[in-house]
Amino acid sequence: MEVRDLAVQFRARGRVCRALDGVSLEWKRGEILGVVGESGCGKSTLARAMLGVVDSAAGEVALDDRPVNGKASLGELRRRVQMIFQDPYQTLNPRQRVEAIVTEPLVVQGVARGEHDERVRSALGDVGLEPERYLTRYPHQLSGGQRQRVAIAAALVLEPEGLICDEPVSMLDASVRAQILTVLVELQRRRELALLFITHDLSLAWSLCDRIAVMYLGRIVEQGSAVDVIERPGHPYTQALVTAVPVPEAGGRERREALTGELPDATDIPSGCRFHPRCPKRFEPCDRVDPPLLDADGRGQLAACLLHDSTLTGAEGRAGTGAVNE
Amino acid sequence: MSSLLEVSELRVEHQSRPIVDGVDLVLERGEALGLAGESGCGKTTTALSVMKLLPSALTQSGTITLRPPGVDEPINIGKRTEAGMQRVRWRHVSLVFQGAMNSLDPVQRLDAQIAEAIRLHEPRAGAKEVRERIAELLKTVGLTADLGRRYAHQLSGGQRQRVMIALALACRPSVVIADEPTTALDVVMQAQVLELLERLREQLGLALILISHDLGVLAETCDRIAVMYAGRIVETGPVSSVFEDPQHPYTKRLLDSLPVIGGARGLAAPIPGGPPDPGDLPAGCRFRPRCPYAAEKCLQDPPLREVRPGQAAACHFAPWSEWPQTAATEARVSR
Repeated sequence: MEVRDLAVQFRARGRVCRALDGVSLEWKRGEILGVVGESGCGKSTLARAMLGVVDSAAGEVALDDRPVNGKASLGELRRRVQMIFQDPYQTLNPRQRVEAIVTEPLVVQGVARGEHDERVRSALGDVGLEPERYLTRYPHQLSGGQRQRVAIAAALVLEPEGLICDEPVSMLDASVRAQILTVLVELQRRRELALLFITHDLSLAWSLCDRIAVMYLGRIVEQGSAVDVIERPGHPYTQALVTAVPVPEAGGRERREALTGELPDATDIPSGCRFHPRCPKRFEPCDRVDPPLLDADGRGQLAACLLHDSTLTGAEGRAGTGAVNE
Repeated sequence: MSSLLEVSELRVEHQSRPIVDGVDLVLERGEALGLAGESGCGKTTTALSVMKLLPSALTQSGTITLRPPGVDEPINIGKRTEAGMQRVRWRHVSLVFQGAMNSLDPVQRLDAQIAEAIRLHEPRAGAKEVRERIAELLKTVGLTADLGRRYAHQLSGGQRQRVMIALALACRPSVVIADEPTTALDVVMQAQVLELLERLREQLGLALILISHDLGVLAETCDRIAVMYAGRIVETGPVSSVFEDPQHPYTKRLLDSLPVIGGARGLAAPIPGGPPDPGDLPAGCRFRPRCPYAAEKCLQDPPLREVRPGQAAACHFAPWSEWPQTAATEARVSR
């Protein structure tokens, strides 16, 4: 799947909120892609816009290089790419049994009736729920982890090629969280399912993702391989996010260096680099020049930061990053 | 010197199902104690017992003694009446509830809510003094005084959590219990709130009980940690020892299963199953059905005992010098 210059705007009290402000992203077959950022940065809006749940103001979404526009292509997209949400307590219909919940996508997509039972059972089996025990249960009879498994089964029953997971485990306890993640990663392996993880948990993105895109105020400010982005972040915002993560290790307490202030209002995006009012590394042109995504050393790691613009810093290539990484 | 807060043999039952089952805790002045564990393990119930705020359907036994500085007689919380407790809550021990957004009054301006807490405990405080105190409190938690004129819905989650902390500090308590204070916040806000709590400890000499299921948060903020499982403390000790060298299989497996940024990529084998139902507890060690090292003697209840200096674990096999590899612990999904 590919997203090109996607923009989404909401109107609130006469003001325009630029929730997505020109996002381009590629999500490859079988890949685990992480989209990370603070609450309100537009990660969930991106997911919704990718599936056409919210209308985009500009840009396009493409599947297999074919733009998605019109009902037929949107229907195909939603069959091939499914989504699960954060809150397994709210996304399942409390009045439906597990069997009905998992069957519904098959009905919507017009799959032949004769196949329903077998596909529902196999989807439940894939997420580690024995069909005999769970088919007739209601959501309130399930634990949080079991509910999220049902949500995954309902998403998988159409055998999609991609699954967008919007904070899939942030409501769950540590041991259940690890179980659900294991289910997802095993599915990714076995079925070559592409996963898109939307999360504010950088440790999670680090441990699972092939690539990571970092969002700030409706834009992608950095993207690259998970190892590059976390180990040598090219954008001061990514750097701040990485140091903000608490580490469950003795002596982890020395690492924190909190970013001051809060995410600005998306109805009033700062001039120049949108991160400049909070940036510890800002220099003279940052409030005037909106930095494009730059590949400083030709390795495919992109960062939208003027520190990588050698004409401004008077240095070559990634010279600026040294300052960022210290 | 005796401790600031002592909880001993705390038991809380709901229709004869034990929710908290014999918990002992000690908190010294200015110390930060972390209470870790998964949903339903009894962390919040323990906190509510200290505040004597348990719902009436729950029965509480054991003793909780508070010795605030400047107060001669120790306060026996179990024996206090509701009226007596009202003079203790907020004045000596405050609670920052989980989910800040839901515990502020939506139809009252924030400064009025803080004023209410101050006036309740200091009825003689004049209007000017109260105003000044509110401005100072908001400043202490890193907010501007004019935010006090706003309503809760006009604030972000991080700001609301700061107001909750200001409210907890309004009557200058010596103990603050923070129940999952950062769970609803993202990493940046979380780092800011944790930094605030750390600064307040230093500046005000506060003792802190921090309740969280996030072991990373506790590692960074606390001096000591107690890990709870199914209503009991299974391991306790200085943060450095417990994280470096855990002595209970539950702590060990929990730490192993956490993704650590910059550490090994991939997923460690998760702990199978879930915590037991308090109405249907397994015999002996409560972690036994999920433990890869369970043996026959685990059918006997293991007591919490000191296994290394300052570090106690409720496991028959502690101290562990090494953790044997089993099929259950090895299954790592690498990336």
